[in-house]
This record gives sequence, structure tokens and C-alpha cells, in this order.
Amino acid sequence: MTEKKRKGSLWETAKSILYGMAGHDMARFALKTRGSMEHLFILITMGDLLGVPILPPYYSLRLLPYVVPQISTWKRRMLRERDLTDALA
Amino acid sequence: MSLARIFQENPERRYIMFGGKGGLGKTTFSAATAYWLAQQGYRALVFSVDPQASLSDIFQQDIFGKGAVEIIPNLFAQEIDADRRIREYQDEIRQKIRDMYGLEKVPDEIEDYIQAAAAEPAMEESAIFDQVVDIVVGGEYDYYIYDLVPLGHALYYLSMASVYDQWIQKITKLREEMEEYAQVAALLQREDEMEEDKILAELQDIRYRISTSSSILTDREKTAFFFVLVPEEMVLVDTKKAAGLFAKFQVPISGYIVNRVLPPELEAQEIPEYLRHRIHMQKKYLAEIDRLFGNEVLARIPEFERDITGLDMIQRMAEAMFGGAA
Repeated sequence: MTEKKRKGSLWETAKSILYGMAGHDMARFALKTRGSMEHLFILITMGDLLGVPILPPYYSLRLLPYVVPQISTWKRRMLRERDLTDALA
Repeated sequence: MSLARIFQENPERRYIMFGGKGGLGKTTFSAATAYWLAQQGYRALVFSVDPQASLSDIFQQDIFGKGAVEIIPNLFAQEIDADRRIREYQDEIRQKIRDMYGLEKVPDEIEDYIQAAAAEPAMEESAIFDQVVDIVVGGEYDYYIYDLVPLGHALYYLSMASVYDQWIQKITKLREEMEEYAQVAALLQREDEMEEDKILAELQDIRYRISTSSSILTDREKTAFFFVLVPEEMVLVDTKKAAGLFAKFQVPISGYIVNRVLPPELEAQEIPEYLRHRIHMQKKYLAEIDRLFGNEVLARIPEFERDITGLDMIQRMAEAMFGGAA
């Protein structure tokens, strides 16, 4: 029983190490891309918040409830000044 | 070809629209057509998509914002109250935000946005457009008669539909791509469950609504679109232009109806020079209309001696349009 458990956790550890070596960066990249796209998505649906009307407001209102938590971080990101270090991030 | 025959020969055309410049008699024709259809035993709904609707005036009954009102058996009329619809819609959005995040009140920034969005000029049109989907999809009636807005608005309506549709298609695609990335990340991090994307579902529903209402406008099988014109030069020029544009948006034009034709038999009577001139002028443009549109001209409706309001006048108008017995 204990043997089996140890073997299991060993396998788990190996999997985690493997994930750290190969998968983590890919997952991070995928999430980062997903995050950028999220911002792009809010821009094209909620553009009027920045004064850029894009989607007809009648329908953008329907999407509003889902993006409420993202609005403030999105506005910050969109209106932020950029510099060279952004390219490194 | 007569108007009554168009209806008899194309029984599957259940969405009836009259288009033309403002003030030429679209509402009158819509009401009279609904009246005639109701007399034939069909359930007919005439509804207005015009923020400045006048169905209440023509039926001499206040129906604004009251849903479908039965005027006589089988004849229903409806005027959409866009302002009220927008207010209700705003409240729905606020309620949803409060429910989703357990908030007491909507954050100021979001509230500002909700109010600003409702002030948009296109908001009214969008709200009406969106309501039309509910009315038409409901399928409660045999015939749906659109009392359309003047030409410019109708074209805006149509172009809006195709732009909206393409736009939402693009956004939906982006959203789907976002899903893929999220899935990759979830797979790599070995998370079994992923939250279903509610935004994507909303987008798909919005797209469904827009394409439903615009596809009806351009459905050759189910839709009959009639142009209303009067024998005057400006109207003729505009109608030619509009017919071209409508053809570009694939609106199936079923024919033309000429309104306000002065009875030609007047010419034989003692009439003032003024009236004689007008009859003469109309003759010239009537010939021009026949030359341009040929047998697509379905009816010539005489100028009546008084306003078309109230059921008696609507009945007389229906007889002029469709012939007495039909």
C-alpha cells in the first residue's frame, strides 16, 4: 500500500518536473496569448468605453455583464504608455 | 398583373413590406393589406418598425407600446415602443451584473457606460430590429405586414444587418480561437474542467437574431416587397435609385403601386386650370412609370377625397388596392 503510494507520488513528481521543463512555458504562452486576445476582444466589443464605437451598442450591452471584472485592468492596459521594456516582456 | 393575384399565386410569401419615400402612403397600404387579408380569413399582423409610427392614427385607436392589439377579428396591429424597450433592456443588464457579482449597485464606470450606450442614435433602430425577431419567430400569424420606415432608414436597416452579421461572425471566430488557447493551457496544466464560454453563447445568439431578421428581408420565397410611389418627378427619380440599391441588397421586389392618382375622368368635367395641369403632369409621369416598370406596376390607387383614417376608409382603400370581391 505504502509502496504503491510512494510509486504514485514519484510518478507525480516526475510528471511535474517534465511539465516544468517542457509544458510550463507553453502553457504560460498560451495563457498570455489568451489574455491579449481577451483585451482585444473587449476592445472590439466595448470600444465605446474608450470612445471607439465598434460593435453596435445595443449588442455590446448584452456582453457587458461578462466583462465587468476585466474592464478596469483592460482600460489601464489600453491607455498605458509604452516603452522599450514592453518588447522584452 | 394585379395585387390580389400576386397574393393568390404566391401563398408562401408571408412577409409583406411596403417601401418608399416618406408620406406616400406606406402605412395606409400596410393597414389596408392587413384588413384585406383578415377579411380573407387569415390572421394578419401589421406592425410598425418606425419610431414615429402612425398605425394608431390610421386605426383611430391608441395601440402604442401595447403589444399586438386585435382591431377586428383576425386583424392585429402593433406599434413597438422603442424607448420603453431600451429602458427595460438596460434594467435587465443592470440586474444581471448585480446578480453575477453579488453587488448592491452597478459600479459607476459601468453605469455611465450603460447610460451612454442608450443615448446612441442607432439604439432605437437596433431595439426595434431586435424586437422584430421575437415577433416574427413567434409564428403566431399567417401574415406579417411590416410598416416600414422611409427608404433611407430601410436601407440603413438592411446594410446594418449585413454589417452586423459579418462583424459578429469575426468576433465569434476570435472568441473561438481564444477558447482554443485556453484549452491548450488547460490541457498542459492537466485541468480537467473548463468553464463554458458564456460570451461565445451570447455572440452566437446575437448572430442568430440578426441573421434571422435580415434573412427575412431578403428571402425571395417568403417575402414580398412593394414599392410605393406617386406620379411626380422627384419621387420617380428616388424610386429608381432606391430600387437599384434594394436590388443590390437582394431584396426581392414584387412590384410597384402608384398612389394618389387623380381620377382621369375629371378631365371631361368643368375643372379649374390648376387641376387640369396636375392631371396632365401626372399623365406624363404615369406613362414614364409604365415605361420603366412595365407590368410590375400592380395598382393605381386614386387620390381619395379625404384622409384614410378609420375602418370605413381602410375598407375603401382595400377595395381600391385588391378589387371589391377578390
